Formats: sequence, C-alpha cells, structure tokens
Amino acid sequence: MTTLKQLEKKLQKADAKMAGLYLFCNFISLLLITAYSAMMLSPTVLLVLPEGGDSRKQMTAIFVLALFGCVVFTIYASGLFFRKKAKQLGTLMALGASGRQLLPGLLKEVLLLSSFSCLAGILAGFPFVALLWNSFRLFLTDSAQMVLKFDFKCLYLSAAFFVIVIACSCINAYRYLKRTNIMDVMHEEHRNEPVKELGTWCAPVGFLLILLGAALGYFSPYAYQKLFSAYSPAWLNLFYAPVFIGLYLIMLHTVVHGWSSRRKHPYKNLIARSMMKFQGKQTVNNLLVSTVLTAGTAFAIFYIPMISVGHSMEVNSRPYDYYYHYRADQTVFDKEGISALAAKYDLAIKDFKTAPYLSLAMDGIDTIEDEGRNFHYERVPFLMEGKFFSETAFETLTGAEISIAPGNYMAISNTDETALYYLNSEAEVLTNMATYDSLPISFAGYTHYDLLVSEKGYYVLNDNDYESIAAGITPEWAGNAVFFNIDGKDNYSLAEDFFYTFISFFGPECEYPSYYDRVAKYQAQQAGKVYWGDTEQMTQISYLEPDTTDFRYYWTYMPKIRILDQTDFLRTFSVFLMMFLFIAIICSLAAMIISYTRCMTIALNNRYVFEDLKRLGASPAFLKKEIKGQAGPVFQIPTIVGMTAMYLLYMLLMFANDGKLTSGEIGGMAVCLLILIFLAGIYYLIYRYTVKNMCRQLEV
Amino acid sequence: MLYVKNLHKSYQSGNKSYSVLKGINLSVADQEFVAVMGPSGSGKSTLLNCISCYIPFEQGTITLGNKELKGLDENALAKVRNEKLGFVFQDFMLLDGLTIRENILVPRIIQGKVDLKAEKLADQLLSLFGIDHIAGKYPADVSGGERQRTAVARSLINQPLLILADEPTGNLDSKSSRAVIESFENARNKLGASIFMVTHDSFAASFCDRVILLKDGTVYKTLEASPGCQEEKRSAFQDRLLDAIREMSNINSDQTATGGI
Repeated sequence: MTTLKQLEKKLQKADAKMAGLYLFCNFISLLLITAYSAMMLSPTVLLVLPEGGDSRKQMTAIFVLALFGCVVFTIYASGLFFRKKAKQLGTLMALGASGRQLLPGLLKEVLLLSSFSCLAGILAGFPFVALLWNSFRLFLTDSAQMVLKFDFKCLYLSAAFFVIVIACSCINAYRYLKRTNIMDVMHEEHRNEPVKELGTWCAPVGFLLILLGAALGYFSPYAYQKLFSAYSPAWLNLFYAPVFIGLYLIMLHTVVHGWSSRRKHPYKNLIARSMMKFQGKQTVNNLLVSTVLTAGTAFAIFYIPMISVGHSMEVNSRPYDYYYHYRADQTVFDKEGISALAAKYDLAIKDFKTAPYLSLAMDGIDTIEDEGRNFHYERVPFLMEGKFFSETAFETLTGAEISIAPGNYMAISNTDETALYYLNSEAEVLTNMATYDSLPISFAGYTHYDLLVSEKGYYVLNDNDYESIAAGITPEWAGNAVFFNIDGKDNYSLAEDFFYTFISFFGPECEYPSYYDRVAKYQAQQAGKVYWGDTEQMTQISYLEPDTTDFRYYWTYMPKIRILDQTDFLRTFSVFLMMFLFIAIICSLAAMIISYTRCMTIALNNRYVFEDLKRLGASPAFLKKEIKGQAGPVFQIPTIVGMTAMYLLYMLLMFANDGKLTSGEIGGMAVCLLILIFLAGIYYLIYRYTVKNMCRQLEV
Repeated sequence: MLYVKNLHKSYQSGNKSYSVLKGINLSVADQEFVAVMGPSGSGKSTLLNCISCYIPFEQGTITLGNKELKGLDENALAKVRNEKLGFVFQDFMLLDGLTIRENILVPRIIQGKVDLKAEKLADQLLSLFGIDHIAGKYPADVSGGERQRTAVARSLINQPLLILADEPTGNLDSKSSRAVIESFENARNKLGASIFMVTHDSFAASFCDRVILLKDGTVYKTLEASPGCQEEKRSAFQDRLLDAIREMSNINSDQTATGGI
C-alpha cells in the first residue's frame, strides 16, 4: 500500500460495517419511494381511481408525506455516516492530508455507496410491489382490474429522489472537508446535539397549533372561494403548516421535558431523559417524521372501513332486495320475466312495485368558469336532468304519504340528508325535453327514501303538474323504477343472472355513466360549445365490462341488488381498497424502520453511558429500564400523537362534510378505532423486538 | 525553531466571547523537549491546536522553521502539518482499518512518497520503539501503550521539525506512560527530534528540558531542568515542578478567597 488511493480503498473495506446503516437507509428509502410511485402511477390504479377525485388527491398527499419522511431519513443516514467517518477524515487531515486530496476519494466512496444502495432500492421496489399486490390478490380479493401493470415513468420520481440522496451525500462530504477546525471534525462522532430547550409551554402551544392548522387548512379554500369567487390555489395548503410546527413542539416537549411530572419525581427517568436531550436534534426530527408517517398510515387505512362500513350499513338497511330503473324506450323484463328467472333458481319474488317517472330539464344556478381561476354564478335554463315521480307514483313505490302543493316540487334525499349535493333545490322552471313546454316551479323541501338516492336525483311533483308536463313526452325522456323482494333467502347466482340479463336489454344509447347529463349537453349545444361529456374527460364504460368498478359505480341504470352488492363489494372496489392498504403498509413500514434505526443509533451513540452505568453498579434490570426509557418515546409518541391526531382530524373532516356524523360514519370510525388498536399492537411488538436488539447490542 | 508571539485566541458561545489565550509568547529550540502544564482551562490544548494549525487564531504569530503560519491557505497548512509537524494524540487517533506498520506510514502515503527508504524507516521506528512484533496487527488488537508508541513512530516518519503531543500519557497506565516517554527521549536523542508536549502528568513532564506553566491563558512560569538525565536530577525536577504547581494553585485560592471577601 503506497498511495492515498490504496489507503482509502483499504479503509473503505474495513468500514463496510459502518457503511451498512447508510446503505440500509438509502436502500429502504428508495425501495419505499419506488414502490409507492410505481403503484401511484400504475395504469392499474390510474384507470380505476377517477382523475381529480378525492382518492387520487389523498394518495398524492400521503405520497408527499412519505417523500418528506424518506428525505429526512436519508439526510439523517448521510449525517450519521459522516459522523462515523469524521474520525478517519479528521485524523488524515490532522496528519497533513488536504481537503483537495481527500475530496476525490470521499466523493467516489459516497457516490459508490449511494448509487449502489439507491439502485438496489429502485430495483427491489418493483418485485416488492409485485409481491405485495399479488399477495393481496391471492389472499384478500382479486378482479380482472387488479392485474398489475407498471408505467415506468414512475422511475422519474425515483430518479429525482436518487439525485437528492447523491446531492445530500456530496454536500455533506464537501462540508466536512471544508471545515477549518480539524479538532471539531475529529471529535464529531462524540459531539452531542442538544436540542434548544424551550419551556413547558411548548406542549399546549403545540396542541393549539395543530388544531389551528387543521382548521385553517381545511376551511381556507372555502373562505377563499367565498371571498374571491375563484378556485383556491394550491398554495393555500400552506395553511396546514402550523400542524407540523405544532407536532414539532410536541416532539420537543417529549424530548426535553417528558410527560411525567418532574415536580413529584425529579429524579425519575433522569438518565434516560438527559441521554435523549443530548441527542435531541436528531431524535426530534425522527419523532416528527415517524409521527407524520404514522398519521399517513392511519389516514390511508381509514379509507377502507369508512367506505366498507358505510356501504355495508346502507346495503343492509335497504327495504328491498332489488331496485332498478330503466328508460321507457328500453324493453326490460316485466314481473313475469323476473318470476321466471327466479324460478330457475327455485325462488319466487314478492312485494313487486313499479312506478313511472319523467326525465325533465331543470334550470338552476351554474358555476361559469371565467379566465384564470375565477368563476361566477349564473342561472341557466337547462342546468340538469331530474327524474320526477308524481305524488301517486311515489306513494305506490314507497308506501309513504306525500302531499305537494301545485307549482312545487320536493327532492328525495336519504334519511341523514348527506346526499343533498346532487339535488337541485333552486329550480324555478321544469322543461319537457320532447315538447320544450315548461312549468314554473318552486322548491318545497326534501322527502326521504334511501333507496332512491342517486347521482341523477329523484324528485316528486304534484299529480296535476306531473300530468301537465308529461304531455307529449317521448319514451327516451320517461322511465320506470322497480322494487321487489325475494321470497326467502336470495341466491347470488340469481342476482348475477339478473344483473347480466338486465344489461343485455339495453341499447348503446344507454351506455353512459350517471354524470353524463343529456340536458346539460343540450345547454352546451345551445351555447355553441362541445359538451364536456363528449370529450375524453368523460369516463368510458362498456357493457362488455360489467364487473369493473367504473361500470358498477357509474352506469346510469346500474341496479341495486343487495346480495350482489354485499358479495362483490370487495372485488368491485378492490383496486381502491388495496391501493390504500398498500399505502398504509408502506407508510407504517417506513415509520417502523425509522423508529427502529433511531433506537439502534441511540444505543450506539450512548454505549459509553451504559458502560459507565455498569461500572457504577447498575443492575441489568436498571439498565433495561433505561433502554426502555430511550426506545419507549421513539415508538410511543409517534403512535399516540400520529394516530390520535389523524383520528380527530378524520372526525372533523366527516363532520365538516355535512355538519353531522351519520350512523355510517360513526360505525366506520368505531371500526377505525379497532384497526388503530391492532396497529398499535404491531408497533408494540416491533418496540419489544427493538428493545431486545438494543439490549443485545449494549450487552445488557 | 518554533516561535510563538503574542498569541490570542477566543471562543464564541452564543453572544459571549471567552478569551482563552491572552498573548502567549514562547519558543522551542532545535532538539528541545518542552512540556506545557497548567490547570484545566488554562489554554494548554488550545495553544497546541493553534500551533498544529487545527484551529484558527485571531492575533499573534506562529513561526515554524522560518515559515510564518498565519495567512497560509488550507493546502499550504496541510503541507506544513504533513512535512514539518508530527502529532501524538491522547486517544491515539490511529486508523482502525490499517495495520500498525501501515498506520506509521500514513503521513508518507499522504505525501505520496512511500518508497523503500520510507519502508525501511518505518521498520527502524518499529524496532526503536519496541513494537516490531506487532507490525502486522491492527490497533484494536494491541495495548494502549503500544498504540501510543505507534503514534509516536507515525509522528516521526516524515522527520518533522517538531512533534506536537497532546496528553500522550493521559490514557495510559504508568508502565505504558514510561515506555511512551522513553520513546520521545529516543526520538530526541537518536533522531534529533524536537518535542512540544502538553501534559497534566508531572512525572512525564519531569523528563523534559523545559516546562512552561500556563495559567489563565498566559505563561505563568518557565522551569528548566538541570542538564543531564540521571534519575535523581529528574526526581528533583519533578519536585520543583510540583512546588511551582502548588504555588500557582495557592495564588489561585488566595485570589478566590480575596474575591470572596
């Protein structure tokens, strides 16, 4: 060995163990980021999650959180690597090596390590996704839509992250070699990083800031729209920033003051607290990242019970097993036809009820987009299509009595009145789209019938008004709604047969989703514009794919069949549900790995403290208690704060949606709570495993 | 050979500035073995670190050989550290991944001049300091005394003008300390090295030609050993040293007491 290059090579080889943690952190970060972006940009997911929909926004928001977590994690890993490397660099510098001499070797080393670990992480990301996703398909649910496809554009995100990792390590390398105080470099490894001590006020202020940030972030877009009549810009999300500052203050309080009363027991946990305080900066950062990721996990996992519990409660509460409606120009089976079909399965039908409705044009207030993000409201004569029953038809169908004064109409909502968004309560004129005769009208409130809630709302008219506006209507603007029950226990095969047969009755003129509005199209044509529903923006559905999420969720004439909806729910929403399960797994994995790594680093950095304690006669039980005092907060605080904050935030969101918590939402939140308890159990097991490994490392 | 004139150094802590060296003047002659002693906080290590060019200083001059160190850029300072100075640290600062022999050669490797002559010199140093039997071992496998003798050998590989030693016996037992001090004596007597050592250990200091006592960032007193190296003279020098230290401490306590009144 005669050159500096050879010397560096030998040292690098000897330091392989030291580089292990750095390699591991980079590998895990890249694996998680690649896996997440591969799923997020996968055609499998993008084809199902509607563009601009809440689920996509949530998926992206959690990705940003995970990205933030991974960036902090890799910066931390890089800092740790250089702290370990500092003694070596300092010694060489002390012996006369200049920064210029050391820079190429150091850069080569970090570039090699970073590139190798990052590329391995990127490569492992895809098999990881495939393994996880196909495990879902194998053990949980499967559908044709769940076939995994990758769009390798996701590699752009991994590449961007790769560049961040490389840049971080190179900047760190340069920073170390540029330092003029060589003694600082040499003793970097043993340097404490005490966190700035703030008073005990930081915990209550932290909680207040979290509440303030949540409220500001949530309500500011509404306020902006009201104030400026413009769509809110993305920067308004910055109003959520106090949440992160609040979280930071709470983490700081945990590290500096702890949560037990020091007045009563001033010496309780004194050693554990002081150890934590002197490594405070990194611990606070780690706690913050783990908390954010745990909150992300909770947010993602809540999606599943909130959708499925609400759906399950709605399906179970239906008064009829079957509901369907069809346009009058389509010939579907009548009562006899259905009875014959049921007979094939040794079943009979009962409670058969049918009632006609009219599809009428309603005027109303439309949001007209101006230049930029601005908009204004304007009354338009052909705003939307509404399905109107007469009073008699409504009574026949539902058994509920209703009385509507002439010139009035009522909208049919669900009992909780959570589906008002789709209903038009501002109509003043109804128009027969065959004759263009109109009827002046006023809104007279809501009536309730859960089964008749749909995106294209149902309304009820006075019998005489109905008669007058119905004159001259053509079958394409009329329809029938039908309910019936199965006498005895329903059979899934019958339901499936019914569903497929029902579709086969429809012509191509009915092959469109529920938000394709023929009246809105007429309005656009009158204004000389192309209706947006005829552009590529509109989701395409096909009779040939009746089992896809889009078809079952959006087809205008999709029947509601209790047993089919119960049995096929998981399959129909498989991509949604599994994507969010996937996100939850990624976030919780990241949080657990970060907490584990932090604990092992604390053990490594405080080794000498534990050795001193041993020399002072500390018993293994005492030492184990101190170890738990270190690992405990690293796992407990993110779990408690992240989960509680997200649980409360979710409740706030549910409440703020419509000013109330529905029975479905309360049921969903109860299941969410159980899931959180289960998740906390998993975190506890990882905590136990971590403590065991820390004890092993510290020879306790 | 080393001249320090009016050296000032202060540290910043928050908004406060603490003056550590307050106009130090001293010199080290060729082949001289000089120790610096003083209580904690007197500025010993800071002085050594300034001379080593490890930390920058605000005022004064340090001249090594004929070269003024202040104002040199980082590359020139690195060259001085490598060619003109040798270093021995309290916690050895050996590179764990290299063998004892390789560690000794590190300054030469940095210089880019490892040839047969350098390797022969390394072997001579190994033999001179009695560590040739562990040449192929790694630092983790040898004793503290052997590690420190390795560090002394490493400090000599480039035949520097001056060896700077920071508490070289601080982490060692008495037997190992003795062996390290003997290494310094050997270095001076057989290789003509000059040594500037910071120490708390009056026994180690009693081997020196001269001991500078520092107090509160200034030179309190300089004591010179009587010529020769017999054990009796060394022991007498250690007694004088202890007396001087006691005197310095008494003045310190008197001042404190007066301040208290």
